[in-house]
Amino acid sequence: MNKWTKFTLPLLQPIAAILVGLLAGAIAIMIAGGDILQTYAEMWKGAFGGMYFFTNTLSRATPIILIGLGAAFAFRAGFFNLGAEGQMVFGALSAALVGLYMPGPGWLVCIAAILAGVIAGGLWSVMAGYFDARFRVNLLISTLLLNYVAVLFAGYLVAYPLKDRSGSAAMAQSEMLDNSVWLPKLISGMPLHVGFVLAVLAALIIFVLLKRSVIGYEVRMLGGNPLFALFGGVKRGPMMLGAMFFSGGLAGLGGAVEILGSQYRYIDGALSTADYAWTGIMAALLAGSHPIGTLIASIFLAALQTGGMGVERNTEVPLEVGAIIQAVLILFISARFTYSFLKRRKGNKSDGTAV
Amino acid sequence: MEQLFDLALINSALRVLTPILLAALGGALCSRVGLFNVGLEGFMLLGAFAAVVGNHFFGNVFYAILFAIAIVSIFSFIFAYLSINLQANVIVVGIAMNALAAGLTTFSLRAIFDVKGAFYDNTMVGLPKWNIPIIEDIPVIGPILAGLTPLVYLSFLIAGLMWYYFYRTKNGFRFLAAGENPLAAKSVGIRVRRYQYGAVLASGVLCALAGAQLSLGQVTMFTEGMTAGRGFIALVATMLGQSGPLGVTAASLLFGFMDALSIRFQGLALPTHFTQMLPYVVTILAMFFFKDKSFQQDALKQGSSSR
Amino acid sequence: MLLQMDNITKKYGEFSANRGIDFSLRAGEVHAIVGENGAGKTTLMRILYGMEQPTSGTIRLNGKEVSFASPLDAIQGGIGMVHQHFMLFPTFTIAENIVIGNEPGSGAGFDRKQAVKIVEGLCEKYGMKVDPRATVSSSAPGVQQRVEILKVLYQGAEIIILDEPTGVLTPLEVQELLDAIKQLSKQGKSFILISHKLNEVLDVADRITVLRDGAVTGVVEKGNTDAHQLSRLMVGRELMELDRKPITPGEKVLEVSDVSIRGTKGKPVLDGVNLEVRAGEVVGIAGISGNGQSELLQVISGLAQPDSGRIAVSGKDVTGMSTREIREHGLAHIPEDRYVWGANRTATVMDTGLMGHQRRLQQGGFLKLKDIRTLVSGWVQKFSIKTGSLETSTQYLSGGNLQKLIVARELEQGTPFLIAAEPTRGVDIGAMETIHGELLKRREEGTGILLVSSELTEILKLSDRVLVMYEGRIAGELSAKDATEEKLGLLMAGGTL
Repeated sequence: MNKWTKFTLPLLQPIAAILVGLLAGAIAIMIAGGDILQTYAEMWKGAFGGMYFFTNTLSRATPIILIGLGAAFAFRAGFFNLGAEGQMVFGALSAALVGLYMPGPGWLVCIAAILAGVIAGGLWSVMAGYFDARFRVNLLISTLLLNYVAVLFAGYLVAYPLKDRSGSAAMAQSEMLDNSVWLPKLISGMPLHVGFVLAVLAALIIFVLLKRSVIGYEVRMLGGNPLFALFGGVKRGPMMLGAMFFSGGLAGLGGAVEILGSQYRYIDGALSTADYAWTGIMAALLAGSHPIGTLIASIFLAALQTGGMGVERNTEVPLEVGAIIQAVLILFISARFTYSFLKRRKGNKSDGTAV
Repeated sequence: MEQLFDLALINSALRVLTPILLAALGGALCSRVGLFNVGLEGFMLLGAFAAVVGNHFFGNVFYAILFAIAIVSIFSFIFAYLSINLQANVIVVGIAMNALAAGLTTFSLRAIFDVKGAFYDNTMVGLPKWNIPIIEDIPVIGPILAGLTPLVYLSFLIAGLMWYYFYRTKNGFRFLAAGENPLAAKSVGIRVRRYQYGAVLASGVLCALAGAQLSLGQVTMFTEGMTAGRGFIALVATMLGQSGPLGVTAASLLFGFMDALSIRFQGLALPTHFTQMLPYVVTILAMFFFKDKSFQQDALKQGSSSR
Repeated sequence: MLLQMDNITKKYGEFSANRGIDFSLRAGEVHAIVGENGAGKTTLMRILYGMEQPTSGTIRLNGKEVSFASPLDAIQGGIGMVHQHFMLFPTFTIAENIVIGNEPGSGAGFDRKQAVKIVEGLCEKYGMKVDPRATVSSSAPGVQQRVEILKVLYQGAEIIILDEPTGVLTPLEVQELLDAIKQLSKQGKSFILISHKLNEVLDVADRITVLRDGAVTGVVEKGNTDAHQLSRLMVGRELMELDRKPITPGEKVLEVSDVSIRGTKGKPVLDGVNLEVRAGEVVGIAGISGNGQSELLQVISGLAQPDSGRIAVSGKDVTGMSTREIREHGLAHIPEDRYVWGANRTATVMDTGLMGHQRRLQQGGFLKLKDIRTLVSGWVQKFSIKTGSLETSTQYLSGGNLQKLIVARELEQGTPFLIAAEPTRGVDIGAMETIHGELLKRREEGTGILLVSSELTEILKLSDRVLVMYEGRIAGELSAKDATEEKLGLLMAGGTL
């Protein structure tokens, strides 16, 4: 295994996946009667063409990055936390509520709102972790189910007690947050806000954490071989609760940041329609739960979405072409185990079982 | 309507539960052989869309359903190949399938029909609604069974057949064995992979039927994302029903009932959110008490250090 | 002659699991195959049952040469195998388990009533009692085994292979099994019994073939042999040169008092185990694997909890503590299965080497990477661990090199007490010498070592005292001076001195 192959081999899978995805997209474009090259050009423009579109893509990527990081962290520790949707929603809602009803100077309320979002998401997540640790309630399923409970409960709150009664809007949403609480934009006139900086920081912090800290080490070992970690003295219970809180907290942060920086109010269903949570999870899967990889994958997936919107605006091809590329990508990646699986099969034939 | 509970409620519960029951039966089959199929939602959506497309182009409900089955089977085959032969993580494949279905159906809505949001065609004929001559006059049963499509009856029939298959036939017995202890099954010559493929493909067919009921059952149209999480509710029904045909039917009845009830609540301007929450809460509570059967545990062990 | 296996050789790469083995079986005969771990018994049976193909040699059934490509072929040839770990369906009934694959019933329907009748008929015919309607999960291991035997009889087996059948049985159930074997062989069925338990074998076998290191060391007839001869044939090697300095043992670093684990359905996994290890001595536990050694080590290291008894490390009671706490009290552990417990395949050499030291080599929560690197590089040097770099993934390390890394890691803890479980399993000669040398060095420096190994030569080379574990108990203790292969072999096989 020389140095060159060691570097390129891990990249081979994602690149091959992207190519396959683009191929599938090309087929879809043909069916829709569009011009392949022109469509892809529009997609690129929609995602990265010009300052506005570029910052728009990054802004869209912001909650995806945070949620993806949360999912990646949990996956790294070996826990299949699929509850990002619910954790994000509660984080967003809590941030909105604190932002609306807490007194004090704007910047303080903003920070408090962010913290509230993190804690809400974290608690919702750690609850599922506790159910697993103490009562053996399967984590994957409970987190999936709790998503619906969270979304429905939040929906109820903004449809009845906390509904915005001002204006004629019949929408189920909270009141609008006061300007002073908003997260500032990074560049005036552009949709990109401070949340993006937080997201990038989070990616870097988690990267360093996993690679160089004691906790990060134990998390990685727990995910890689739980028996090895147990053998070495790592305590699974506290680690699981900690990892779940951290993971859910990041998802909550993603929701909070979206409210404080972009939407300025909690609108029932807005976060779900934008599909931030599942895109974030997919980004984590695409990147093999690597923090920096998740950052890049999230931006890539966000670009597919904004690019798709650009395609829709300027061609006959619907914006879902981006979604199709994304899904085919994941399918291909899910088959990534093929390579190592084939290797293992060949290995087994010659080893056999001795004695 | 004046009252909350009346026979019409049961009638609408039956309509509503059919897609859930069909998909849940499919989920149960997959779960029994160790494959936790989260792609039911995607399969159902594809089925709903394909049924409308088929109806539009063939002008015939029967062919439409066959077309839906054919389309969904392509995807269920891909699912089976990835999960069984390539040993990909079945959860990830299911998630990807759902995303693919959502993207493809919306895309095709535009590409084929040049329409956004929903497609309907007044010339299309939906599933026939049966008002059975003598039965419709019987006091209680009549109103309950009024105007139900054949798929409603079919779904219960399939549930019954599945029960018979599992517990009365040799083949079904071996199917259960393949899931209960694949190693032991192989040692007596049972082809576990074949049963796994069969389960996945069958679940595809069932989900196609479920989708057809959705898009051709009440009103003949396809709306973007019209499955609205029913595939996941079906999965929940599978779990609550412990992957047994009777349990799954009971769970589906329960959920269908709650769903119909929540529609009533909407009419009365009461918050429906809580009745909609109920299936999920009930299942989580049930998970505290019900011990997962071994095959389900294996299915859920995919890539996690939680169990 | 019903079955004749001639000159069977099986090689896996360089390693020969079976070397020119001749084996024969008459109709109605009970023929036992005995040997230690790694002797080649299971490989030979897997070949007979169609799960492996021999590298060379022939198999003849009733004079005709046969070749089994899969277990189904073997079953059709009239050979049935009762595996060591039962292949049953827990939630199904006994009747269902027996008839599976060949269920009664016309057409597609499964006639369960008929199945019950069939099983009742089998019970009559072969004199074994089971309740066809009971579920397997609710039945005792002894009953489950009868179900397995009835299953192969139903499939039409004339030759029945039993692979270590009494591991999970209580003494009463063992007797019932032996009686059943005698009864069935009178009815003309033939048995191949794989076992390391000499008293059982001597009770029921007509002939006994002894395997050692893949070859036959002897074939004896019933009545012509005894446990001493068998254990000599099983184990006999030249005594290794003792090359250890005499040491006066110091304080107790480990004390195990009356530790028991109940186990499911009657048979205890650990049965009142008492032992102690003192500073500067190596206590070796010999025994065929599966007699409770793994469970004992898990209890000592905190990976499992005993049902009763006390464990003390360096004088402090650690019963019930977590693994981390016990390690902090002065325990290091070379695990018996390096891939399951000892390493993380996807991790780098550096990461695998760090386990157990990460809380020490840190500052403010962050790992002191330079210090870790220096430490692990030191090990690589000292133990000649062949690896590309510290960043190489451990899956690319050979078994021996990975084991050296693990040994270095655990020894680095510098604890007064060390568990070494199968420390040189699957490891090349060079690495073995290195590891043995290190262990003896620690011994001289005052570390107390509990050595568990299924390799008697290793035990004898390193230990000051030798204990033998059999069926969850300490069957006997010998000092290094008194321990001979023969005596140990006897204890290991359930005999008495």
